[in-house]
Amino acid sequence: MVTENQVWQALKAVNDPEYPLSIVDLGIIYKVEVLQAIVAIEMTFTAMGCPAIDMILLDVDEEVRKISGVKNVDIEIVWSPPWTRDRITPAGREILQYYGVGV
Amino acid sequence: MATDKKNGKAEQELMEKIRNGFMVESEEDMTPDYKKSLITQLTVQADTELMSAPAYYLASKDAPTINSRIAVTAIIHDELGHANIAYRIMEDLGVDKHWLVYGRKPHEFKHPYGFDQPLENWAEMVVANGFFDRAGICLLGDVLENTSYGPLKRSLVKVDREEILHLRHGESWMKRLSKAGGEAKELLQRAVDWMFPMTIEWFGLPDELKHHSGQLDYRLKGQTNDQLRQTWMDATVPLCEKIGIKVPAHYDKEKGDYILDYPFPCQYNPDEKRWLFDEPLTWDQVFKRWKARGPMNKTYAEMVQGDLDSIFGGRLW
Repeated sequence: MVTENQVWQALKAVNDPEYPLSIVDLGIIYKVEVLQAIVAIEMTFTAMGCPAIDMILLDVDEEVRKISGVKNVDIEIVWSPPWTRDRITPAGREILQYYGVGV
Repeated sequence: MATDKKNGKAEQELMEKIRNGFMVESEEDMTPDYKKSLITQLTVQADTELMSAPAYYLASKDAPTINSRIAVTAIIHDELGHANIAYRIMEDLGVDKHWLVYGRKPHEFKHPYGFDQPLENWAEMVVANGFFDRAGICLLGDVLENTSYGPLKRSLVKVDREEILHLRHGESWMKRLSKAGGEAKELLQRAVDWMFPMTIEWFGLPDELKHHSGQLDYRLKGQTNDQLRQTWMDATVPLCEKIGIKVPAHYDKEKGDYILDYPFPCQYNPDEKRWLFDEPLTWDQVFKRWKARGPMNKTYAEMVQGDLDSIFGGRLW
């Protein structure tokens, strides 16, 4: 039986391709649901023209499929509500500030 | 390039200070020879970043999806920013930045021979990100860690992060093309076949032939050419082996080093994009090939410089 918690843990292993913080800390994962062997993820990106969309989607798919029992990963990209910097967790903020990114 | 002034008293004193951890922050801290070595290094760095832009731009047209095209154009944007950072640092040292970009002839730019070559399909584009940007990370990561020039060190923190994105773009697509098999994998293998030795050559003269290096004495970099070549192979060879792509190098457990499986250096046929492993060269012959420049040198320089006399050229701004 796959749990939501397992999926969140898997997503924490996916880093932003530029800075070493997870996409969970970046605040772009909106919802995780598990329906037996199917994992449904609702997520957004920091901008519609984000150059890393393909890379992040591939990484999410790969990490979540590593959970035993997962057969399908269904990712829905949403733009509402839009992502803002307020969604970054304190841990993520600390990492970005270390690299001189204003948050 | 080292000069005969290196044995002067001021030069020796500066080297000693640097060995004890001194960071150079302004021109007043420099000797003329230090400044010359620094500017040579920055010119290569800036020109390499700059000439990657037209090469990637032409190849971005082969991107298979909108998202992947956006990824490459964002990479080009980064590269131009990196070039600007290095030219700006030189400007602070009294070098004419405008002349560096617009005043030089195509063959006067100091980027490696690899960025004189056309990237003609999506496989070549992503291998450029996987191999050439990895070479950039090896070289600039070493400078970031070791340089004695403060302004350069600080500027490279951001550059390094962005290069890692380019690398991840390249490697993630290399994995994907290999997994797809068929023609995609064949094109990937063909790209690797010419781009692997191209990057190996990029790191320059082997240590045994390299005479005194001002860049190491002044701690403008930390690793030698051969060490950097090993660092690059240490990341690249296992990646290729893992995804089932052949490379002309292997790890020698006894020596603890990567060994090339072909005579290095050797001749390259740019029209066929093929290395002639049966035609070994001397380094003087390699320098001659580099100096003659590759097939895209003029085109790339013209793309960057623009036609200043055209309707949309320099006169408008």
